[in-house]
Amino acid sequence: MAEKMFGKALKRVEDPRFITGTGNYTDDIAVHGMVHAAMVRSPYPHAKIKSIDSSAALALPGVIAILTGKDLVGAGINPIPTGWLLPDLKISAHHAIQPEEVNHVGDIVAAIIAETRAIAEDAVALVDVDYDVLESVSLGSTALAAGAVQVHPEAPGNLAFDWTIGDAAATDAEFAKADKIVKLELRNHRLVPNAIEPRASLAEYKRAGDEYTLHTTSQNPHIHRVMIGAFVMGIPEHKLRIVSPDVGGGFGSKIFQYPEEVIVLFAAKKVNRPVKWTARRSESFVSDAHGRDHETVAEAAVMNDGTLLALRVNTIANLGAYLTTFAPAVPTYLYGTLLNGTYKWKAIHAHVRGVYTNTVGVDAYRGAGRPEATYVVERIVSTVARELGMDPVDIRRKNFIQPSEFPYQTPVALQYDSGNYEPAMDMALEKLGYKALRAKQAEMRKQGKYIGIGVCTYLEACGLAPSALVGSLGAQAGQWESALVRVAATGVVEVLTGSHSHGQGHETAFAQVVADELQVPVEHVVLVHGDTARLPHGWGSYGSRSAPVGLSAITMACRKITDKAKKIAAHLLEASVEDMEHVDGKYQVKGVPERSKSFFEVALMAHLAHNYPADLEPGLEATHFYDPKNFVYPFGTHLAVVEVDADTGRTKLIRYVCVDDCGPIVNPLIVEGQVHGGVAQGMGQALLENTVYDASGQLVSGSYLEYTMPRADDMVQLEIGHTVTPSPHNPLGLKGIGEAGTIASTAAVANAVIDALEPFGVRHMDMPFTSEKVWQVIHASQLAQAADD
Amino acid sequence: MADKVPITLTVNGTKHSVHVEPRTLLVQFLREHLSLTGTHVGCDTSQCGACTVHLDGMAVKSCTMFAVQADGSSVTTIEGIGEIGHLHPLQQGFWEMHGLQCGFCTPGMIMSAADLLQHNAKPSEAEIRHALEGNFCRCTGYHNIVRAVQHASGQIQNQAQAADD
Amino acid sequence: MQLEGFNIIHATPEQVFVALQSPDMLAKCVPGVKKLEVESEGVFKTTLEVSVGPVKGSFSGKVSVLDAVLNTSLTLKVEMRAPVGIASAIGKIILEPQDAATKVHWSGEPQLGGMIASVGARLIGGVAKAQADIFFTKLEQELTSKA
Repeated sequence: MAEKMFGKALKRVEDPRFITGTGNYTDDIAVHGMVHAAMVRSPYPHAKIKSIDSSAALALPGVIAILTGKDLVGAGINPIPTGWLLPDLKISAHHAIQPEEVNHVGDIVAAIIAETRAIAEDAVALVDVDYDVLESVSLGSTALAAGAVQVHPEAPGNLAFDWTIGDAAATDAEFAKADKIVKLELRNHRLVPNAIEPRASLAEYKRAGDEYTLHTTSQNPHIHRVMIGAFVMGIPEHKLRIVSPDVGGGFGSKIFQYPEEVIVLFAAKKVNRPVKWTARRSESFVSDAHGRDHETVAEAAVMNDGTLLALRVNTIANLGAYLTTFAPAVPTYLYGTLLNGTYKWKAIHAHVRGVYTNTVGVDAYRGAGRPEATYVVERIVSTVARELGMDPVDIRRKNFIQPSEFPYQTPVALQYDSGNYEPAMDMALEKLGYKALRAKQAEMRKQGKYIGIGVCTYLEACGLAPSALVGSLGAQAGQWESALVRVAATGVVEVLTGSHSHGQGHETAFAQVVADELQVPVEHVVLVHGDTARLPHGWGSYGSRSAPVGLSAITMACRKITDKAKKIAAHLLEASVEDMEHVDGKYQVKGVPERSKSFFEVALMAHLAHNYPADLEPGLEATHFYDPKNFVYPFGTHLAVVEVDADTGRTKLIRYVCVDDCGPIVNPLIVEGQVHGGVAQGMGQALLENTVYDASGQLVSGSYLEYTMPRADDMVQLEIGHTVTPSPHNPLGLKGIGEAGTIASTAAVANAVIDALEPFGVRHMDMPFTSEKVWQVIHASQLAQAADD
Repeated sequence: MADKVPITLTVNGTKHSVHVEPRTLLVQFLREHLSLTGTHVGCDTSQCGACTVHLDGMAVKSCTMFAVQADGSSVTTIEGIGEIGHLHPLQQGFWEMHGLQCGFCTPGMIMSAADLLQHNAKPSEAEIRHALEGNFCRCTGYHNIVRAVQHASGQIQNQAQAADD
Repeated sequence: MQLEGFNIIHATPEQVFVALQSPDMLAKCVPGVKKLEVESEGVFKTTLEVSVGPVKGSFSGKVSVLDAVLNTSLTLKVEMRAPVGIASAIGKIILEPQDAATKVHWSGEPQLGGMIASVGARLIGGVAKAQADIFFTKLEQELTSKA
């Protein structure tokens, strides 16, 4: 019997190229005759373009062409659409190059095409754009206020949408019954995703055939093909190939279809040379879609015994200047539906207003809506516990949905299909030594030392998504996934998947599952992804969907292969198909191991196929389009311990324990890696990262000098555990893990900091908990204390 | 555009005498002139460390110096420290311990860590974290990067031990 | 960010007042000046090399002298553009006689936009102070060497 690969901590097969510097990222590709693009970007948050004088730039030797918004509009290039529509959504055209008005710092007003990147960047300086500068607005609540600056004429009052979920009357009724109402005002601040590989695009155009090829940093090349081909540029699918080679991290920011992709494609045809653009990091900050940016008022209605009754949430979601690909879905269906968490709320009502501002567009960033929801729920539940004098663990245990109660219908649309929350929490508490640490915390406080313990018992809905459901909610496309499994005559198994790996190790984990399904050596399995010319249509990787959806499609395709292989073996053995079994990598007559054919023999004969009966097709390949029946619902408990230096305000993570339940684990190395990275990003939001627009609408945190990325010494070694509750509805019971760490850790760390600051009377403060902010509240408390004494 | 200037430098053991524009960055020279694309560019303010290479045995950020400043020097890049079949202990360590995900920061991480291990063959966890402060990773939370460096440190000591025996 | 400061120049307010509006003197004293020419009465067209932290750029634009009160005060309006962004400021200069010298009070609020704001905003205070010091030191050198 071949060794089972599922569950094995196999070293990654993609690693040899990365550790030797032979990966193939978009910017690594150079083609003959290639020229370079550089963008002229608006330095103003809001302005009318009065005129553009590009004569000096054009005169620079080496400059080939200069494109403006009018050139693109004149050539019939359409604005970039959003992919998700809400009822009565107000949309303003998002042009690849703005023809008339710029709406955020970094908005593109012209593009230079030149022989070298340096010349293109030199020429940017010579383009003379005359602007009529307008007033601007960068904060969501300011944009909604009466008399605010109007960003787009299409959206009066800057309101893009006004959305609610849940039963308002039922929620009011629960609030009327409550012993206590706990209210929090929360700011979930704006983040920049910051994949370390900057975005890059290389467009090639072939006059013969009128064909385009775009190499680009994408998590989902088919989404790019649909958007660019069908909507923006009107290129038939068979004439537009999108290739996304090795991608250096995405975290959501490489889902979206960006202006620069349209510009290089357009330019490649215009100048009849391949055109490459690679973002400078300073451009990434003002052009990659940002994440989060919510202002929320949340109220919980509770009983004195800790019973949670109802939750009322009012959120202003800053969408930035334009609606990017998934923007309308993130603060609505990926947020409002998650506000139930792991608890038995009797009623929930959420009201979300999506608002335009003169800032970079906001869209999905690792977790996308779910971290924001988890932050609201987990912060308020911990606050309720504190105000009732309960332990934050006890209030959670009291209100958890119980295993016997699944499937569980929440008040906010989702039906959880499975879950078992207490064992995960108990395992985490045990790992941390929770009770002892609480005692130590009390002891330390007496000595003027402050640690805090933060609890987060999160749940997420991922594995996007049942197509009919998301379609009914406004998605303009289904979110099924495709797989094509093709067995070559030599027995090599080529797996073509619509999922896209940009760090998640699909080449390894997917091969493990295929090896088990087909009972072949794992090294005989080769994964192909990221190229629309080679793959059946697929939807890519985001929303923790690659394992539950992509790998389910592959599994089903493998099962079709096995069925077909049995038929071939039956023919070769002159047996009936019903008598065949697949054992130890062989197709044999049941109970007669001597009468068998190996996988290799079957694969070879599938291709030679010169003596087949009429009802048996030659070849050995299968395609499956898998559409999940429901989301999957991973959950777990994260416990953060922070230490606050009362003299300096310096707040540091000192321990982190997490127990996640993502169902059966294909490769524990990869799953734990996803948790590590996710936790670092969530911790980064809580303690370090912030995106700051100043009063004049300028982004003043636009480089790594100002935007504080987590570094090696900001993190600790994580203490990780797992429980396993399989998803009941996909073939392997898989659930996603890509976003869980980020979803849970921001709230866990925030709860820890607030817990640490309890002796200073701090009930809530907004992230990020920088030394300065923490010192300010400690200092204020000490001054007040001194005044009382 | 200023006139090109002649430089001679050794990269991964191969001597190159070329003419470059004075403003050519070392990283640009490596990637565009020599097609050594393992060295990456992740930022424009010398923070991310993806471009780290060794210049005469010391780790430097190759986005922060001009190619002409490397005239007469010896440069080692990720392509030069090991290859499949003969991996550097750090390359092996990153592979064994799953010290990478998207792989983009990895070459710079390995080159920075190699500099550390040259000076401190047995670093503590805190010393490793401190030494890698100039390198960003957005994927791994640094957890397995630390373990990868520890793994390599152990390997190097075992090799030294074996050589002594 | 509102910035202010003063520098002592060993010359009379009359000399300083003239010097501050002299294209030759400005061309010699403004740090990083590459080009400076008179566009019209009280309006100079100029190109400057300025670096703010990691961002360096060639700024070109206009400096206009407004509200000049003879030998006492003047206002400078600066509007500059560069590939790395935009910089503008209204600067107020007051000349106060102090023995044989002049105490030059300066104040203003620089506004940055574009990349230079995202990368250099927090450094602008220090940069502006340093530039002012260089300017007035040179101005003093020019005025005292002539005297």
